[in-house]
Amino acid sequence: MEAFYVGLAEILEIEASKVSSELNLTELAWDSLAVISTIALVDDQFSVMLDGKALAQCQRVADIEALIAKEKAR
Amino acid sequence: MAARDRFGRNVRLAGARISGVVSAIPSQQVSNDHFVPQFGAEAVAEVVKMIGVQTRYWATAALTTADLCRRAAEVLLDRLRWNKADIGALVYVTQTPDHRLPATACILQDNLGLPTSCAAFDVNLGCSGYPYGLWIAMSLALSGACTRVLLLVGDTISKTVSSTDRSTALLFGDAGTATAVEVSGNDGFAQFVLGTDGAGARNLIIPNGGFRSSALSDPRLAGRDLAALFMDGSEIFNFTLRSVPGMVSQVLQEAAADPGAVDAYLFHQANLFMLNHLAKKLKIPKERFPTNIDRFGNTSSASIPLLLTSDLAGSIAKRRANLVLAGFGVGYSWAAAYLPVGPLECVETVVV
Repeated sequence: MEAFYVGLAEILEIEASKVSSELNLTELAWDSLAVISTIALVDDQFSVMLDGKALAQCQRVADIEALIAKEKAR
Repeated sequence: MAARDRFGRNVRLAGARISGVVSAIPSQQVSNDHFVPQFGAEAVAEVVKMIGVQTRYWATAALTTADLCRRAAEVLLDRLRWNKADIGALVYVTQTPDHRLPATACILQDNLGLPTSCAAFDVNLGCSGYPYGLWIAMSLALSGACTRVLLLVGDTISKTVSSTDRSTALLFGDAGTATAVEVSGNDGFAQFVLGTDGAGARNLIIPNGGFRSSALSDPRLAGRDLAALFMDGSEIFNFTLRSVPGMVSQVLQEAAADPGAVDAYLFHQANLFMLNHLAKKLKIPKERFPTNIDRFGNTSSASIPLLLTSDLAGSIAKRRANLVLAGFGVGYSWAAAYLPVGPLECVETVVV
């Protein structure tokens, strides 16, 4: 998850140390550009593709992690 | 084992070639500063970081896609010294025709002084339009219907976007192109992959202007100008990741081509972030993956021929290159071609 958090921090333009499962995305710039960047990040790191619609609805980083786990299990 | 046609229909055509390509761009250059009053400097910088467009060229109200393609065709026919009487077909690929009817190809036949024995028709495709158009043009030439085909491909998508829509206003540029296709005796072949998934039609669409009234019950369209282009960027990105790497691998496999023997991969210039991600995924080295979206924006169907005349002109004018062309997007429609191109007597970009 380490590299994933660093990537996510870059996308959200915050410090990497601030990223955790509990981080609230709704208070950050979680817009369509961030969603597209996250699709690419997750594809790079975990070789799975997340659905943009589902990703846009994520409220916390934990929700993204749950989507990744679900895709990896498929 | 995956089906051989998992990413599209496989077609191999031998005995036709590209003999020349000309692109025409409008003279009006638009920089990113143009968008700052509407969106603010910060939002512009954020979008530009994603799409990678620094400048684009926009046609004025009086200049249509057909005008750009006509100019490109005139230069092409002049340089190649083609006898107009030999042109048996004109294929015009565009989503920005002059009129709802007649087909703009008919008007172009007259404007270009082509014979009345010339078959002419429009093809309504965008991002996938160039490889699709090559397949059509080469098929016509090889059918025996004609030996020389004029393939005109272009769009003026800037005229379809809403100036207040952040996701499309900065992205597009305008261009028209002309490609000469003819029967040739050489031993090369063109390998195509062609595919369609209309389930994605609603994710890149101009809802109004045709004959189906705006009964699309889609919450994403609420409050929007239905005569303007709508694009769902993340849906398009998902589609691209699902289709493009597989399509490119499939065309190489069907052609029995070694990826290392490909001189250049010319992808539809959709958005720089997406292009860089695809190149990384396919392990295509940067020097074999030219991009021109920084200078021209996303020019829809014209982006691949514009790459030929802008970034590859120096090399394909002199020698033969093995190219992979990949178009993907609106429809959803996608097409790839693996083919040798060059040396070309005529490959250039002109300003109208």
